[in-house]
Amino acid sequence: MIDIVNSLPNLKAYGTPIYFIYLLLAITPLVISLYFGKRLVKYEVLVNIVFIYLMFDARNWPQLIALIAFLAWQTILVLIYFKYRQRANSSQIFYLWTFLLLLPIIIVKVTPAVSGQNSIIGFLGVSYLTFRAVGTLIEIRDGAIHEFNTGHFIRFMAFMPAITSGPIDRFRRFEKDYQKVPDRQEYLGMVAKAINYLFLGFLYKFVFSYFLGSRLLPQLEAKAMFYSPHFTWYLVGVMYVYGLYLFFDFAGYSLFAVAISYLMGVKTPMNFNKPFISKNIKEFWNRWHMTLSFWFRDYIFMRFVFTATRHKWIKNRNTLSSLAYLLNMFVMGCWHGLTWYYILYGLMHGLGLIINDWWLRLKKKHLKWLPHNKFTEFIAIVITFNFVMLSFLLFSGFLNRFWFGGKF
Amino acid sequence: MKKNYRLWPIFGPIIIAVLLLIGLFMLPLNFKVSSKTLKEAAVSLDTATFKNQFLKKQALETKKTNYVPFFGSSELERMDRFHPSVMAAKYHNYRPFLLGKKGAQSLPQVLAMETILPQLKNRKVVFIVSPQWFVKRGITPPAFKYYNGDLADFTWLQHADPHSAYDRYFARRLVRLLGPNDRVGQMAAQIAAGHKLTSANYQWISFQRKFLIHEDQLFSRFRPNENYEKRIVPKINQLPKHYNYQKLQTLARGDAQRQTTNNNFGILNNFYSTRVKPNKTLLKGAEKNFSYLKSPEYSDFELVLQQLAKQHTQVLFMIQPVNSKWADYTGLNMQMYYQTVRKIKYQLHQQGFNNIADYSHQGSTPYFMEDTIHIGWAGWVKFDKRVAAFVAQKNEKPVYHLQKKFLQQNWQQLEPTQQNLKAFSRE
Repeated sequence: MIDIVNSLPNLKAYGTPIYFIYLLLAITPLVISLYFGKRLVKYEVLVNIVFIYLMFDARNWPQLIALIAFLAWQTILVLIYFKYRQRANSSQIFYLWTFLLLLPIIIVKVTPAVSGQNSIIGFLGVSYLTFRAVGTLIEIRDGAIHEFNTGHFIRFMAFMPAITSGPIDRFRRFEKDYQKVPDRQEYLGMVAKAINYLFLGFLYKFVFSYFLGSRLLPQLEAKAMFYSPHFTWYLVGVMYVYGLYLFFDFAGYSLFAVAISYLMGVKTPMNFNKPFISKNIKEFWNRWHMTLSFWFRDYIFMRFVFTATRHKWIKNRNTLSSLAYLLNMFVMGCWHGLTWYYILYGLMHGLGLIINDWWLRLKKKHLKWLPHNKFTEFIAIVITFNFVMLSFLLFSGFLNRFWFGGKF
Repeated sequence: MKKNYRLWPIFGPIIIAVLLLIGLFMLPLNFKVSSKTLKEAAVSLDTATFKNQFLKKQALETKKTNYVPFFGSSELERMDRFHPSVMAAKYHNYRPFLLGKKGAQSLPQVLAMETILPQLKNRKVVFIVSPQWFVKRGITPPAFKYYNGDLADFTWLQHADPHSAYDRYFARRLVRLLGPNDRVGQMAAQIAAGHKLTSANYQWISFQRKFLIHEDQLFSRFRPNENYEKRIVPKINQLPKHYNYQKLQTLARGDAQRQTTNNNFGILNNFYSTRVKPNKTLLKGAEKNFSYLKSPEYSDFELVLQQLAKQHTQVLFMIQPVNSKWADYTGLNMQMYYQTVRKIKYQLHQQGFNNIADYSHQGSTPYFMEDTIHIGWAGWVKFDKRVAAFVAQKNEKPVYHLQKKFLQQNWQQLEPTQQNLKAFSRE
């Protein structure tokens, strides 16, 4: 028995092929019971707990404690707010509560920027859980959530397939899925998709991402670093290879998370939809890390635009949306981490969105003669792709080492 | 329109794929590779080839070519035109099969032999010892893990005997180097404690071995690299048509002279400018306190000897010199170095390993070495002559007499003065 326990730990989510064997074996009873139209709720809770526990191996137990404490904090806050919202709706309270929900992640993000060390209250997945909690809070304020069951909320927050890195689901959507059991045909359709996603994920993560990230990238980085801080074409190689690696790694992971959710009878939303065929940067954000970008769109961009319009802060609609883009992307940059390259990455995309809007307006008004055909679409895709790749080079933090020896 | 889903179209392809995969790994395959692939494998210095079995085994079994295993470390990478692989291709009727790269010390060699024990039986092999292996703590865990492969580990575990002092010693080393949480480390801990493995362990091992052997057969063939085409073949024709030792020596010295022009140490220009020059001031006097006298490596080396003795393998040992000008600069204590060599040779002679090419005093011979601690040019020519003579010798069954005391702490820690060695002989 001790042998088994010793050989199990450190099952980083979806990290190795063997993880899938354990995971699929563990959820087989769930799949069979869903096929026969039943949810094994208690067994599912058990699987959730065991696999979350295994994600944090013995050395990472402080992370596990942090996760539990964090879940308790968020759940209690949301519960209190739900009770409060039945009676009143003050903006101050709402903002205070939002701040309290964000407090852990603010500490987690600010600590390394100030002290250079990771905060002890951090754990893998803290930001994704924060997104889920804040989203729920906003929907409660909007009066969109009428029932609140604490157990269900925790189940939504700590849904194992997506706990560490999303996709970011919404409480209402998740609950709707969970309240009913899909009929056999629908469920088989989900299983078929899940298997397709799993194998596509294997190709992305264990073939493409491995080759790009573990084989090619280190070599190119070493060659580029050899001439640092002077430009060589190796740096361009680093840019493309890192960008593609990032996509295949994250999209592969997301496919796994969605596939496992489907097998568990929950239609977790997709995260990627062929992002590199985007014809402009706005379309890109509708295809790249979709659950994150939609979260930002709904809860930051839109909220800011509504509030600003209601209070008549800015008259000009174009100025307003530009400002909203910049704010939206700046916050996203900060969320990735308080380093110059993440923040610049955010601002770069904010600026990209502004220029994109400006160009579309210009084209509509003054460049009517400009043709629209396969060729111009192709040009647009090439420009967007290269812009995105350049922004990912910034995002990678490689330039920090390349120019400053990793000092900042 | 609603699609009609059924179980078989969803799971059928997976089931078939899994069955095919299991079939592929479980079938008693026995693929052979071409003699060209073997030729490439022999000089590829590839780590997977070193760790696994397939290519080594086939090379040593082939009737077409007489492959002589060369166990060694970083010196094998010094492929100038007098390297034994080039010389053999031009003049001799055997081919070296190079095993080992930088940092491959005794224990990796023991495991590299583990997968080809039957092939080593009564065979002639060359073993190059570097005194630099014998550092205070012996091989480091990362270096060991780099050369450690499951197939060799499991092959050893399958026959490891908890009653044998050698196997228990090796098991202790494995636990130490792999850590107690490692799967192999856990089983080794059983052996080290004198317990037999459970039958579940043995079943697991034999299942794993089957899988690994097939993996090896399927994929190792793709491992050989361009070394043979790029670093050996072009040099074969740069050698004179007929073997003449004196002429080769002169040529070697000429090459060396032309390629050691940017420094006073007699070090290859390229090595000097990339590896030495950037840290030159740091290296001055840096080896003053180096000592190779006391090290667990001595007992690790004993495992090599035990394995060779068990297979009645005929061995030519070579002891590498250090570049004496370089040693002067780094402050390496030559007295200590010679004592180390004495200790190694004592361990060899005591147990009947008497075929030793001791080059420890060649460190100041001009152009004998290619860089700081690696033989090259004139050194290779001399060594090649010795190896060719050894291979040409009539086969005879060697007589070794192993002594378990070389596994003990007090041997590892013995200061090899004449007196101490004499006392140790009586133990």
